[in-house]
Amino acid sequence: MFLIATILCWSSLSLGADFLSDESYEDQAASIKVADPIEPLNRAVFTFNDKVYIWVLDPVATGYSKVLPADIRGCISNFFYNLGEPVRSVNCLLQGRVRDSGLTLGRFVINSICGVFGLADPASNEFKIAPIYANLGETLSVWGVGDGFYLVVPLIGSSTLRDFTGTVVDGMAMSTYSPWNDDALTVATVQGANTVNRTSLRLGEYEELKSLSFDPYVAFRNGYFQVRNKQRDHLKNNK
Amino acid sequence: MKKSGSLLGAWCFMQCQITSPSSFISLLFTFIVVFFAHSAVGATPDPTEQFRPFLEKVTKTLADPGLKTIPKKDQSQRIINVVREHFDFREMSKRVIGQQWRGLSEKEQAEFEALFTQLLQYAYVGKIDEYSGQQVQFTQQRIKGERAEVQTLLVDKDRSIPVSYILLLRGNQWMAYDVVVEGVSLIRNYMEQFTEILRKDGYPGLVKQVKEKIAELEKNIKKT
Repeated sequence: MFLIATILCWSSLSLGADFLSDESYEDQAASIKVADPIEPLNRAVFTFNDKVYIWVLDPVATGYSKVLPADIRGCISNFFYNLGEPVRSVNCLLQGRVRDSGLTLGRFVINSICGVFGLADPASNEFKIAPIYANLGETLSVWGVGDGFYLVVPLIGSSTLRDFTGTVVDGMAMSTYSPWNDDALTVATVQGANTVNRTSLRLGEYEELKSLSFDPYVAFRNGYFQVRNKQRDHLKNNK
Repeated sequence: MKKSGSLLGAWCFMQCQITSPSSFISLLFTFIVVFFAHSAVGATPDPTEQFRPFLEKVTKTLADPGLKTIPKKDQSQRIINVVREHFDFREMSKRVIGQQWRGLSEKEQAEFEALFTQLLQYAYVGKIDEYSGQQVQFTQQRIKGERAEVQTLLVDKDRSIPVSYILLLRGNQWMAYDVVVEGVSLIRNYMEQFTEILRKDGYPGLVKQVKEKIAELEKNIKKT
């Protein structure tokens, strides 16, 4: 138990940057401790993803958002999120977050039964159990595996070598129990639908952030690490 | 605060001499008023208590129907004038530049402050149209010496967006020097971009790029 507590404290110390301390501002690399040795390649993929977003994803998601009302799209998003809960629960357990693991599993059971296969989220609304963040990338980091380097993945976006490995393994774990695991085309179609649905709920945000930045590549890289730090700062999140 | 508290105390004291049956309660009340009035002096002001009326004023200005009738540029000017009351743009400028700030002349510092303020003013002018009565909920606050964080939720119809204000105590006023939206700090994000520009092109290069960005955003304002 002491070991777990130590690990959790250590990870929260190293991950959580306190806004009220000047060091988090003065240390120029505060949010970027992860190296970016393949920056030219990453920039090329970033440009590719940007074009895919502008020419394919955004028009498709915009059309889709006009067909389906926002609350139904919200339900679809809940459904996909709910499917990931068992994987999140296992990752919590692997990180020693026993309570979070139980809560996540509880969310899965409540939402699958009372929320009609996870279309609604009564666990958050009625039972006041907020969604809990966990994935294999984080588990590996708790176990002491380093990030490796920053990686922009085609069609997926910002990640690191370690976190992307985690994403792939998490995805494989999910496919063992998800309703569609027949062939690669079905899986890709479902993933595509999920992405379009998710994008339709945040239309315009990408363009706006891009228009305000001086170097979108650096702005999104920084944003990715800042968001990740916050998601993994469980001591603060649980307060 | 101190003066009004003491006056109120004196008034209560007079009252309790006149109306003797409830004099004990009045006297107690006097002591309570005087005690709290005194203890409030010298203590750190409450950040949420300052930001609640301030953000109400901002949303009221945004909701004012008269705002939409004036040109976009004037709209953004009116908003920035209200925002200035509790936003420290100099502190923001200092932080986005980082260590090189000390190496700049006073004139350059003032120049950059004006440019960065203008950048934010034009960057968020589009948000004025998007405002449709969203409310601000105060969730938590943290105080650490002369710094504080006020956490809020911007409640929209489909979802709530967490927005934190990072504050610095200047005299008796809490002034914001960073805004953290959904976990992303505006200042840290700009700082990392500016660090690269400063490293490659130095301060003149940064000024040039900021000016270009302002011109670009200004052109978009005129278009709409």
